[in-house]
Amino acid sequence: MALRAASKVSILLGQCVPCIKQNASKFKIKRLELDTNLNMYFPAVEYIYAFDPEKKCKTGDVVLIEQLPEQMTRLITHKVKEVIYPFGDITDPLTGKKCVAGKYREDIEVINKVYGELDTRFKYDEAPPRGWQEDKKDFSHVETYMKYHESGEDQPYAY
Amino acid sequence: MNSTRLVRCVTFVSVKRYFRLVNNKRFSNLLSVWISCLINLRQLVLLISNFYLDYFITELFPFVMNSFRLLKLHPIKTQFREYALKSDLKIKWVRPEKIPCFKPEKSGDLETFPEIDKKLYQEDFKNCKELKTANELVKKLFTLEFAPRNETVRHYINRTSDKVRRHVNDYGSHEATIAAWTGVIRAMQESMERLPRNKIMKVQLKELIDRRKKFLKYLRRWDYKRFEWLLETLNLKYVPMPLDVHWITRKDSLTKLTDKYCDDIRKDKLEKLKLQLQSEQPAFLEEKIRILEFIRNEQKSCNVEVTVHQDEIDNVKRRLDDLKEKVKQLNQEEI
Repeated sequence: MALRAASKVSILLGQCVPCIKQNASKFKIKRLELDTNLNMYFPAVEYIYAFDPEKKCKTGDVVLIEQLPEQMTRLITHKVKEVIYPFGDITDPLTGKKCVAGKYREDIEVINKVYGELDTRFKYDEAPPRGWQEDKKDFSHVETYMKYHESGEDQPYAY
Repeated sequence: MNSTRLVRCVTFVSVKRYFRLVNNKRFSNLLSVWISCLINLRQLVLLISNFYLDYFITELFPFVMNSFRLLKLHPIKTQFREYALKSDLKIKWVRPEKIPCFKPEKSGDLETFPEIDKKLYQEDFKNCKELKTANELVKKLFTLEFAPRNETVRHYINRTSDKVRRHVNDYGSHEATIAAWTGVIRAMQESMERLPRNKIMKVQLKELIDRRKKFLKYLRRWDYKRFEWLLETLNLKYVPMPLDVHWITRKDSLTKLTDKYCDDIRKDKLEKLKLQLQSEQPAFLEEKIRILEFIRNEQKSCNVEVTVHQDEIDNVKRRLDDLKEKVKQLNQEEI
């Protein structure tokens, strides 16, 4: 049901999930499906691969994807149109200011100044772009697995 | 030998038995003698029909069934065993050892509780003005050496938190909280090594590790850059839980290993083919240049429309030069 419904629509909004394909990204598309017996909607999840040669979509980003006129491969049916919400980089839609959870970043810095800011604090201006800890300390960009075999080699993606 | 008497006196069963007996020996000679001796035609017919029936039941039928079995053409049994199939591949599976959840390898801590200088003052007295002018013996009494272990732990927790504080009085920000918990976790992990039967501490430790992971998950969603900075500063590792969690089984693991083995074979073969094709490339390009030039010259000499342009040939030549240079560079690098 969900599959047919999603493939009918030309533009979809999905969240990027870890994927090992080099020229494509995987997207999780959540839609509401009507159960005619209960007359209620239930969430149904579907996964779609979209062409993304530059790999501009990072895990967790909310992205607009567009259907290709012709299916590229057996899996790739869509292409990435626009990254709408980069993950972990929230912008307030009303004021256009950056925020962290429920506070503006500016406000946090003003409060720090009132108390006497320290050098140990996190500085946004000096921070490198997202992804500099990939494969070092942050392994959320890959599909992890339960360790099933002791091969003697280091297995960083094993949980 | 009076054969008629013999045939008359034996019953149907005994005839069969007799034939079975003689069948093992030279039977054909005996049969010819018998037939010549027989008078009664009815008896002869009976005898022959009996013989053929018996022969079919005792000899031919088992032979046919046997041949079916030998050729594996038995109509009822299946050809292969479909259960407990053992692979011929020599893949050795080693079951990974179970790591308890509170161990640093599992909790994501890349460093453990360090050795702390015992000559430092206790947390409550480190800014005390009186101590600066006090006696050496008094000073020594207020060091960590003469305080319970929890003072050392407190010192470590505060130092860990200090790494990420926003301002002087920051004790409640997200990163300061995670840092403080990290200090507690590392101290507890050290205690667990010494007191492995302390179940209460084990539970507390596990719960704290899980709570820290949850907070890290939230921080990742709210502010990715800060999350990465925190991992780097506190020396933590963040590995999200896999989507499909199942206990490890031998069969499942062997299936995965076999898949991997097959993939490796495929990859190896493709790599070999690629190398082979690359090695054949220069010869192919030379041949291409030769043929293109030949066609061009022929077309010119025959006064036909020239379809092969000089640019095309030059392009191929350039590609050949590039290839040769690449090979040269690779050879030099190897040396």
